[in-house]
Formats: sequence, structure tokens, C-alpha cells
Amino acid sequence: MKLKETIFDPIFKSNPITVLVLGICSSLAVTVTMKGALVMALSVMAVCGISSFILSTLRNTIPGRVRIIVQLVVVAMMVILVDQILKSFEATFPIDKQLSVYISLIITNCIVMGRIEAFALGNKPIPSLLDGLANGAGYGLVLLIVAFFRELLGSGTLFGMQIMPASYVTNNLVILPPFALILLGCIVWVQRSIQKDLQEK
Amino acid sequence: MNTNSNLYTVIYTAIIVTVVAAVLAFVSQSLKDKQEANEKAETISQMLTAGGFGSKAEFQALGNAKVLETYGNEIGEAFTVNAEGAKVADLDLEHKEIFSRSQLKAQNYKVKDGEGYEIPVFKFKNGITVVPVYGAGLWGPIWGYIAFEADGKTIHGAYFDHESETAGLGAKIKDDPDFQAEFVGEQAFFGQSPVFAIVKGGAPKEEGKSVVDNQVDAITGATMTSNGLDAAINTWLGAYAAYFGTVKEEVEE
Repeated sequence: MKLKETIFDPIFKSNPITVLVLGICSSLAVTVTMKGALVMALSVMAVCGISSFILSTLRNTIPGRVRIIVQLVVVAMMVILVDQILKSFEATFPIDKQLSVYISLIITNCIVMGRIEAFALGNKPIPSLLDGLANGAGYGLVLLIVAFFRELLGSGTLFGMQIMPASYVTNNLVILPPFALILLGCIVWVQRSIQKDLQEK
Repeated sequence: MNTNSNLYTVIYTAIIVTVVAAVLAFVSQSLKDKQEANEKAETISQMLTAGGFGSKAEFQALGNAKVLETYGNEIGEAFTVNAEGAKVADLDLEHKEIFSRSQLKAQNYKVKDGEGYEIPVFKFKNGITVVPVYGAGLWGPIWGYIAFEADGKTIHGAYFDHESETAGLGAKIKDDPDFQAEFVGEQAFFGQSPVFAIVKGGAPKEEGKSVVDNQVDAITGATMTSNGLDAAINTWLGAYAAYFGTVKEEVEE
């Protein structure tokens, strides 16, 4: 596979959320605010990219029978590192508190393990790193789109700054997880109407 | 090399696990100070929120240094009390010494036994006294701060936090300002049982009429968390009963 496809496919053509339908759970939970979504997106990018790189470097030495366990150990290490780092900075500490369990739950995000199994274990380290980062970015992009609408309509703000006029009555439904699912459905709809080859006959 | 032999597999996993453990231990140690500073500022901002010095969001926007400064300006006395309500030791105001969550947890065992505990009291310059509560929610620990007026029984404000209660249900003890606002103006009946109660549908607040009692409404759909908070508040306020008993006498004199 060409490097360019490795980078750009996961952003749109084979987006992990809208096409592969992975990582849905966390995308419903962390998209109430743009800040939360951005931090989550960057965290998933870091975890996915770096663990793909590490496992791709080790790929010829990993014993086949404990393959998944070795992957889990590396991914878990990355998730704990990200969590620890977020907790240490004054700017990210409240966001880490707001995201609460969802940072630790990156470990169960199917995108991470999925890309490691499907790509990193069969490719060289640098393409694996890019693949991991690109899939994280594709996930993050959808997260940010959903969070944009949810924060704007639900709280009238973007990144915590007041956007809507003061008379705007915030929509409580938008804050609740079901609306994220509705929005995700709309995004899938838009993508499928642009990308005809995804449509079933 | 045969990567599928038993020996190789065992040695390989052992090495991986050791390396990962070493990395995590190193990072955890080197970031510990920063994380503790953040936790401390967070705890102080929770106490200040309970005491009505501002909202949680305001303190978050101010940043750690400002939160510590506000606390330094407002705090009058901080000390620990024992089961008899007597003062045991002063907390270091200069270094803004507070009780961390692990300290509260350690005291919680003794508070439950009803003896041998030394729990903190934070008296602010404007007469408000803030005390912590700690207990078990549904999934993990819950804790919070309750602020009392100078009379030592009327609640001025409350703030609760949790580690892992269900988002949207139990998590409301922290996220729902309306729930925390319910405590304002209510009273703790020290020396009685229960000192305070979180009840199901038994504490209606009719419009324009405020019933002052020792009850607030529980959270719908979060019975276990509400019960946990009820127990936490009762156990801890019960432990402070002797202390607030002495406060009342002072006021009456």
C-alpha cells in the first residue's frame, strides 16, 4: 500500500468510525464539549500511533501464541502514560477529570487493537506509525464534528466561549448521548451519499 | 530462532512485562509532585465551592495559583478534632495543609468505628466552617465538603465528588448544581439519628415555601449512590457531632 493512501484513507475513505464502525461507545461519551473531544482525539492518536510503532518494531520477535497479550500490555502502557501525563498538567487536569474513565477505556477502543492486528503486525514501523496516527486522526475528526454541534446547540459555546446569543435556550437533548448517535448516523449518511461504493446493492 | 517454543514465550513475556512496569514506575514517580499539586488545588477549590466563595467553574478558570491564594486569604483556622470534639492539632496554614483523599480514606475506617479518629475542620474568616465527608458510592469512593454557618447547624453549601459513579445518574452528585443547591439552608440535627437524610420523595420543596429540616431528595435512578452519600454524610457528620456541640454552647453563651 502506498504511503499516501496509508495516511489519507483512514481520514475519509475508510474512516474508523463511519465506515469500520469502531469506537462508537467513546464517541458518544466524550463529545459533549470540544475541549474534551480534542483531548480525547489527541490521546487516541498518540496511543494508536506509538503502540503501532512499538509493536511493528517488535513484530518479528513476538511469539504467536501470546500475540494479543503482548499487544494489550503495550497498549495498556501507552494509555496509562497518556493518563498520567494529562493528570500532571494544570491545563489538562480538569479535562482528564471530566473524561474520567474514558481515557482509561481507550485500551478497549477497537480502533487501537484493530489497526495493530490488521496493519502494524504486517508492516514496517514508519508506515505503522503513520497508519496509527491517521486512524486516530480519522476518529478525532468525527469526534470534533459531533462535538461541534453538541457543544454549540447544547451549551451555546465552543471551546467554552459563548457563541450563541444570551437569549438562546440550550437544548438538553443534544447534551445526552442519544443525540450523538443521531448525529453520527447523519455523518454516515452524508459519507455514503458521497462515496457510492459503500452503498449496498 | 523458534519464536513458538515455550521457553522463548515465557522469557519474552517476562521481559516485556518487566520493561513496561519499569517505564510506568519511572513515569509515575517523576510526575507525582505535579499530580499532587493539581489534586490539592482541586480539593481546595471543592472546599471553597462548598463554602460559597465561588462556583467550581470559576475556580477552574482561575487556575491553581489563584485558588491557593483565595484559600490563603479566606481561611481563618484549620485544625483536627477527635471523637470528644476537642482540638487535637493545628494544620499548617502557611503551607495550606489540607486533608488529601487518601488521608480521608484512612480516617474513614476509624470514623466508622466511632473512635480514635482525628478529622479536619476548616474555619473561614467569615464564620463558615467546612468539613469533609467520605464514603462508598456504587462503583467507587465518593466524598465531598459541607459548609456550615456560624451557628454550627445550618448548611451554607455543599460540594460532592466521586471517582466512578454512573455518568448521568450517580454522577449527578457532582454534576447537578440543583442537587447540591438542595442542601443550602437545611440543617444537620447533631446529636440525633439520623443527623441528615437523603430520602426518596419525602422532602418536597413546595414553591415559595422552604421547609427547613434535615432531609433532601435523593437522585432519581441513582438509589445506590444516594444511599452511599446518605451513609457518608451521616457517618461523618455524626463524627463531628461532639465538635459542633461545643460550637453551639459557645454561641448560646
